[in-house]
Amino acid sequence: MILSVKKYINAYTDSSPLVIFRIGFGLMMLFSIVRFWSKGWIEKIYIEPSFHFTYYGFEWVKPLGDKIYILFILCAISSALIAIGLKYKLAIITFFLSFTYIELLEKTIYLNHYYFICVLSFLLIFLPLNSSFSIDNLINNKKSNSVPRWTIDSIKLMLGIVYIYAGLAKINSDWLLQALPLKIWLPSKYDLPIIGETLMQENWVHFAMSWGGMLYDLLIPFLLLYKRTRTFAFLLVVFFHVFTRVLFPIGVFPYIMIISALIFFDAKFHKKIINILKKIINPISKRLSQINIQNVKFYSNKKIIWVLAIFFILQLTIPLRHLSYNGNIMWHEQGYRFSWRVMLMEKIGYTTFKILDNDKNQFFYVQNEEFLTSYQEKQMSFQPDFILEYAHFLGKHFKSKGFENIEVFAESYVSLNGRRSQMYIDPEINLLNIKDSFKNKYWILPLK
Amino acid sequence: MKKIFTVLSISIIITGCGGGDNNDIYSDGFDRNALLINITDNIIIPAYNNFSSKTTELENTIDQFIAETNQNNLDLVQTKWLDAYMAWQHIEMFDINMAEEINFRKKMNSYPANGSRIELNVLSESYDFNDPNHYAAQGFPSLDYMINGLQNGITIYNGADGGKYLAYLKALISTINFNTNEVKNEWISNRDNFISSTENTATSSLNKLTNDFIFYYEKGFRANKIGIPAGVFSGSKLPQNIEAYYHNLSNNNTSKNLALEAFTAINKFFSGVHFNNSTEGSSLKEYLNYLNATDDGDTLSNVIIATINTAEAAINDLDDDLMNQINTDNYQLLVTYDKIQAAVPLLKVDMIGHLSIDIDYIDADGD
Repeated sequence: MILSVKKYINAYTDSSPLVIFRIGFGLMMLFSIVRFWSKGWIEKIYIEPSFHFTYYGFEWVKPLGDKIYILFILCAISSALIAIGLKYKLAIITFFLSFTYIELLEKTIYLNHYYFICVLSFLLIFLPLNSSFSIDNLINNKKSNSVPRWTIDSIKLMLGIVYIYAGLAKINSDWLLQALPLKIWLPSKYDLPIIGETLMQENWVHFAMSWGGMLYDLLIPFLLLYKRTRTFAFLLVVFFHVFTRVLFPIGVFPYIMIISALIFFDAKFHKKIINILKKIINPISKRLSQINIQNVKFYSNKKIIWVLAIFFILQLTIPLRHLSYNGNIMWHEQGYRFSWRVMLMEKIGYTTFKILDNDKNQFFYVQNEEFLTSYQEKQMSFQPDFILEYAHFLGKHFKSKGFENIEVFAESYVSLNGRRSQMYIDPEINLLNIKDSFKNKYWILPLK
Repeated sequence: MKKIFTVLSISIIITGCGGGDNNDIYSDGFDRNALLINITDNIIIPAYNNFSSKTTELENTIDQFIAETNQNNLDLVQTKWLDAYMAWQHIEMFDINMAEEINFRKKMNSYPANGSRIELNVLSESYDFNDPNHYAAQGFPSLDYMINGLQNGITIYNGADGGKYLAYLKALISTINFNTNEVKNEWISNRDNFISSTENTATSSLNKLTNDFIFYYEKGFRANKIGIPAGVFSGSKLPQNIEAYYHNLSNNNTSKNLALEAFTAINKFFSGVHFNNSTEGSSLKEYLNYLNATDDGDTLSNVIIATINTAEAAINDLDDDLMNQINTDNYQLLVTYDKIQAAVPLLKVDMIGHLSIDIDYIDADGD
């Protein structure tokens, strides 16, 4: 056993898949930052709101005002550097830190794909993505045409974890037995050409897509791993993700997954792409080919292997933490985030807050739009940790306005997957007395 | 190479399907087009025609008052003002397109009126009605101040600065008519465009109508007419913030009547009842029924209507003089507020959920 682990760690393979992954990753990130910027979302999400929702344990991450643009510029530059492989290590560390800081700033835009990019970029810090076909090779006059197998496999493993946990999350009665929430979403896509008024309205299509989606997620890593099914699997990847892109507003995520899935192809495939790239940059590459870069052996660093081992143990356990809470995870959302639970629910809420002033023995209601943007209000209204954080913010706000002795109550109605809306938060509980923690949130009323 | 090419071309073909920018009429089986036609032709446009005829009449009586400034003519202005204000209750919720662009709602009905700003405007004779600071110095609440709120009204109009007061009165009504015509004419000229926008995007007609309807119910109706005066958002009651405050001082039932009229408009819109008669056409109610939206055994539309009716009955049971109600027994107003409020989650959560109205404007992966 130990012997075979050792043997595996010392096994080498061609480095070209890492090269293509590096270029693809860098360009996709550059594209998605430019896209985010051009849509005016930096302003809308990071500058306009007067209040930001932060993650538990990361309350110290503070908004930067206009300086947030510097972070985005840093992020964009490091993406470009990653793509061309210039100062790779510095670039990927900068990317990871700036991107993660941006994400930590505002919880309302938590998306699994942003989390995926945080996690992936952390992993990439430890992988030699610049070992060949990079500017770093020219500068250092060194390259490694072969790299340890584990470097490529760890990316495959990360993708496998994402897909398999996404698939496992779909094994629930709403998804499989009632085709929810697809049954709600698909008919509303009636304005799609050809399929909108036909297929999207059919009951069997909702079920086929629910079951198909579950099976796709669970099987695709294996279909990609085996050479015989690989091309078919990749076409499936393209079809699946582009189809979801057409149906839902999920931004660049589908393209990131498509590009990422290329890592499963063998070195021959990637070499072909590199050759095409070489032809494109022909005039430069001709001159470059005259420079003789030394091919050196890349050695695995034991410490890195340990870091990655711990990283993957965490990645495997974090999505399972919901098991320590009772009840429907989609309802109480404890352990919902960072678990690859994607497109699982249609949840809408409406939450208002009542401030009880004990000194004057009177109460009043808060007008949320005074403090939150409409998107923040929408997200806050159905997620318990948002409701709690906002209640504490309101408490602080009104205390600073001279209301000393106040209590904050939520009146919250939430509808999950088309069920009738129900009271969500116990309206009798003064939320100022509740501290956020990993303890069970007993103040969430159970789903009827 | 071949592989890459196949993959690429398939991606392009599939991606290409995502466009969908042609002008076909789409639906989920429900005829959204018929709904839009009914709401536009039988509710919105007739309501605007009615409203603009009332504001024209009001302008005529104001002209008459300017020509012959006496109490008799001022009384006439007051009557026509109330008629127009009642008619306004039927259009405030349609804050769409041109109305939204020119801030029609805010210019017409921001209350309480800013009396000191009005006085300043009158005497300085210089003001810009497009400046948000002047929203509360124009429209119905400001007319209310000018015709019902001035102490010794007729003597002021006949006094030293009378000409300036008359000029401001004229400026108020002609601005109202100018804005009203702009919005009305756009409804008429843009009608075909509006009713054919049946897709499901944040900017398509039904999505805007529905969002604005809910916004109106929550803000224009619930908060402005009842919540704010009752002190729901401030802790202490604010009786001077009722709608038509000055007219209500002398007539005692104005605010309540306006609120009840607004309820009629809300009911008509939800059930698709024609503005001019009681014929029922396609509506949100019908759409919800088509989608089989149910709620504890009853249809969601019935539950919504019953909840709205309960709220209407609660307003009916209040003192005819809302101000008196607030000053003597505000608790009843808070209870009424709760009954109005009960419909908000039904509209905002349950109805929106069933209609799957698309209001997202940034990426989401459904979690």
